[in-house]
Amino acid sequence: MASVEYDAATRLYPGTATPAVNELNLSIADGELLVLVGPSGSGKSTALRMLAGLEPLDEGKILIGGKDVSAVRPRDRDIAMVFQSYALYPQLDVAANMGFALKQQGVPKEERKQRVLEAAKLLDLEPYLDRKPRNLSGGQRQRVAMGRAIVRHPQVYLMDEPLSNLDAKLRVQTRTELVELQQRLAVTTVYVTHDQVEAMTMGHRVAVLRDGYLQQVDAPGTLYHSPANLFVAGFIGSPAMNTLPVPATGPLRIAGTEVGIADDLGGERATVGFRPETVIIGDGPIAARIRIVEDLGSEVFVHLVLDHDGEERRVVAKVDAPFVGSAGDNVRVKLHGTVHLFDTAEVRRTSVTL
Amino acid sequence: MIALGRRERRGSRLGVGESRATVIALGTVAWLIGMLWIFPVAWTVLTSFKTEQDASAQTFHNGLTVARYSDVSHSTTGTLSLSTAFTNSLVIVLVSTIIVMLLALPAAYALAIRPVPKWRDVLFFFISTKFLPIVASIFPIYVYAQKWNLIGTRTILIVLYIAMNLPLAIWMTRSFFSEVPRELIEAAEIDGTSLFNQLRSVILPIAAPGIAATALLCVIFAWNEYFYAIQLNFAGASTMPQWVIGNVSTRGNFLAKLSAASMIACLPVILAGWAAQKRMIRGLSMGALK
Amino acid sequence: MTAAEATLRGRVGDPFSSPWRRRLPLLPALVFTIAITQLPFLVSIYYSFTNLKDRTQSIIPEPTKFVGIDNYKAIFNDPFFRQAMWTSVKMTVLAVVLSLVFGTLFALLLDRKFFGQGIVRTLLITPFLLMPVVAALIWKQQMFSSLFGILDKVLAFLGLNSVAWISDHPLASIVTVLVWQWTPFMMLIMLAGLQSQPSDILEAAGVDGATPLGIFRQLTLPHLRRYLELGALLGSIYIVQAFDAIDVMTGGGPGSTNIPYFVYQESIGGGFRYGSASAYAIVVVIFSIIIATFSLRVLSGLLKDEERA
Repeated sequence: MASVEYDAATRLYPGTATPAVNELNLSIADGELLVLVGPSGSGKSTALRMLAGLEPLDEGKILIGGKDVSAVRPRDRDIAMVFQSYALYPQLDVAANMGFALKQQGVPKEERKQRVLEAAKLLDLEPYLDRKPRNLSGGQRQRVAMGRAIVRHPQVYLMDEPLSNLDAKLRVQTRTELVELQQRLAVTTVYVTHDQVEAMTMGHRVAVLRDGYLQQVDAPGTLYHSPANLFVAGFIGSPAMNTLPVPATGPLRIAGTEVGIADDLGGERATVGFRPETVIIGDGPIAARIRIVEDLGSEVFVHLVLDHDGEERRVVAKVDAPFVGSAGDNVRVKLHGTVHLFDTAEVRRTSVTL
Repeated sequence: MIALGRRERRGSRLGVGESRATVIALGTVAWLIGMLWIFPVAWTVLTSFKTEQDASAQTFHNGLTVARYSDVSHSTTGTLSLSTAFTNSLVIVLVSTIIVMLLALPAAYALAIRPVPKWRDVLFFFISTKFLPIVASIFPIYVYAQKWNLIGTRTILIVLYIAMNLPLAIWMTRSFFSEVPRELIEAAEIDGTSLFNQLRSVILPIAAPGIAATALLCVIFAWNEYFYAIQLNFAGASTMPQWVIGNVSTRGNFLAKLSAASMIACLPVILAGWAAQKRMIRGLSMGALK
Repeated sequence: MTAAEATLRGRVGDPFSSPWRRRLPLLPALVFTIAITQLPFLVSIYYSFTNLKDRTQSIIPEPTKFVGIDNYKAIFNDPFFRQAMWTSVKMTVLAVVLSLVFGTLFALLLDRKFFGQGIVRTLLITPFLLMPVVAALIWKQQMFSSLFGILDKVLAFLGLNSVAWISDHPLASIVTVLVWQWTPFMMLIMLAGLQSQPSDILEAAGVDGATPLGIFRQLTLPHLRRYLELGALLGSIYIVQAFDAIDVMTGGGPGSTNIPYFVYQESIGGGFRYGSASAYAIVVVIFSIIIATFSLRVLSGLLKDEERA
């Protein structure tokens, strides 16, 4: 168990102009589950592979447990990794797969068997120990990949989108199992995903990456309520935050209704953002028309169209069930909750509570 | 399971840790081995540019010349002309390879895409025809070829080369076809396309590298074939291998001339092989054996 | 599942594929192969029961008559045939195994990026592209020859005695040429095998603490097994028929006559005893079928692996 630190870590693929990971500074505490999230091409997988030693660093360094491991080979870093494709050894059965790393370390056969059995019990894999990967279902393979990692007691666990190949229901179920497992084992874990729901529900902290740059790293709640910039605001939360362009100075109006004053947000234009749950349908100053109603049972997402600054804009409202109303209806809407203001550089400046 | 080949796979395979020194050392070893392996060929090429004196003594006294190549290209009475042999080989190889592919492609379709029952047995039967030593059947073939006046014609060789290459062509093409994703075939079936169109627009584009590799192998084996040619051919219909042997002389030393002849004979296939080697490897790794 | 399995299962309700319609595309190739390969074989069987000879070769021509299994009986007492069989086995096994070993080593060397990798690969595959007769000629005259050969000149340069390579070591000389030509073929197959190994499995093994040698031994070799089998199978099929090198380098002779050359010598290569030659050939075919049954198991294994992978 150890802390992990990225110190201005940079990776530039030969022949490309911009680094895949650009001067990443990130400290991960011992025992923490940190999620690296971002769209494809954001550099999250590259950052993970740099930690694993599968990608070299072009600049900066990486420390595990305080030691600089930037030049250390993967097999000497004492880490375990779960690959997106699971990367199970096809010719070995489940037990041999899970015991592979122990065998490389020279752990005697009896002890190996013991530890593999422990891990198998933890993951409900006992009945499959003598099967080959090709005779396992996707979910079973995923668990074997996990088992291969946890049998090792390494300093750090690395996970590269381990759930993305599972079907939706299994994914949700495995997600919670994973979190419980990590809490129990209390090993530092770095977890990569592109799914922001996964990120929010799993991590102690979440690091949002975009185009190789770290946007923000915070606890999920903080990311949600206090996004550092427009990108994080739009990436975290589903449905996405509603955004509308506003002038950078002067009175702020959303669909004609004044909500406050902008204190020179720099430049020409700025953006105002508010989450779906701040849009209240009933009575209010804003006129809107319903486009679509999505009824999920426990909550309802209502897609609206309103007139903002002379243009038609789409806005999503989240309301409690039951909701009475259908496409084409004209309704009145008001905002109640936090409204964020982002300046021209897309950085969040202030938030106003209505 | 499909490999996620999003990064350049080969090279410093394990990222950090494979030292520069190792890579350079292994690269040097590879170069040494490559040079050693090609040495006999390289030396022969060199010899082909020497005078006969130098060739026999393995010296360089008289410098280099292309005289041997012109010696060998001009036909003299009693020996086979280069142009005749070359044309014969070209025609025989091209015609037989084209027909092999025309027979093999539908057969592979019937073994891979819409397979007949017992396709494995059929495949084994084709391969088993190569277990029979050709020397065993040469006499009956000779007898019947003589009966039908086919000795010394291109036809008999074309027919025999087709039989020679067909099993390999079917084997390789079948496994390339089996690589075509199921969904594409299903889509074509729903669209009601005929076998011919399915082949043309769906299957061939995907299997193209493999089919090119197969055709190249057929060309190599047919061009280089010696036994059938010697036994069933003479004079006017002779092929390149016979032409080369025709330049082996028991009187005196004609090493340089023979080297020149050898190089001329082998050059077309060598060039074809060089040009297509990447495709061959890609073809083989794609599907000669999944 | 493969296209094969899926369609077989979908036979019910698949109105487009009656069994005969499926067989149709196969027929041209099948008919052609049977005609050209099986008919001569059947004729050979017939000849093997006669004493057919080339009448122009003997002073008192014998009439061709049916001799039953006399030819076959003679084979069992024929020490030269046994020797040819043994030479065939030695030649084939040595050539196949050596070219597999070299081919694998070269493939391992070439399976990385280094300066001029493409050129080295081109150099290595060239011998396979040469005509077998040319390859044999090159080795006979440029390398092994006592008069002109490079090897003897090098030995002389080092102050050692020259070696009569071909005369003293006929089998080794032939195997050398065969290995020289077929190693590239094996190398290509093994390269395909190495490159078909998913890279994430190799990475996982690295992370799991395996050394490069450990990875090769525990993961790569088992993965290559199918490719080794394919190489051995295809290589054997071609190498067991080796003829050109023997004809050019040694012209037969006790140490280097394999079965094809032996049968050739018995029939149109000098003996002209077609009846007895046919009998030899049939015996060889029977042996081939036995070996083929063994290789059928290998083959089925290869094809079954394909389905499960």
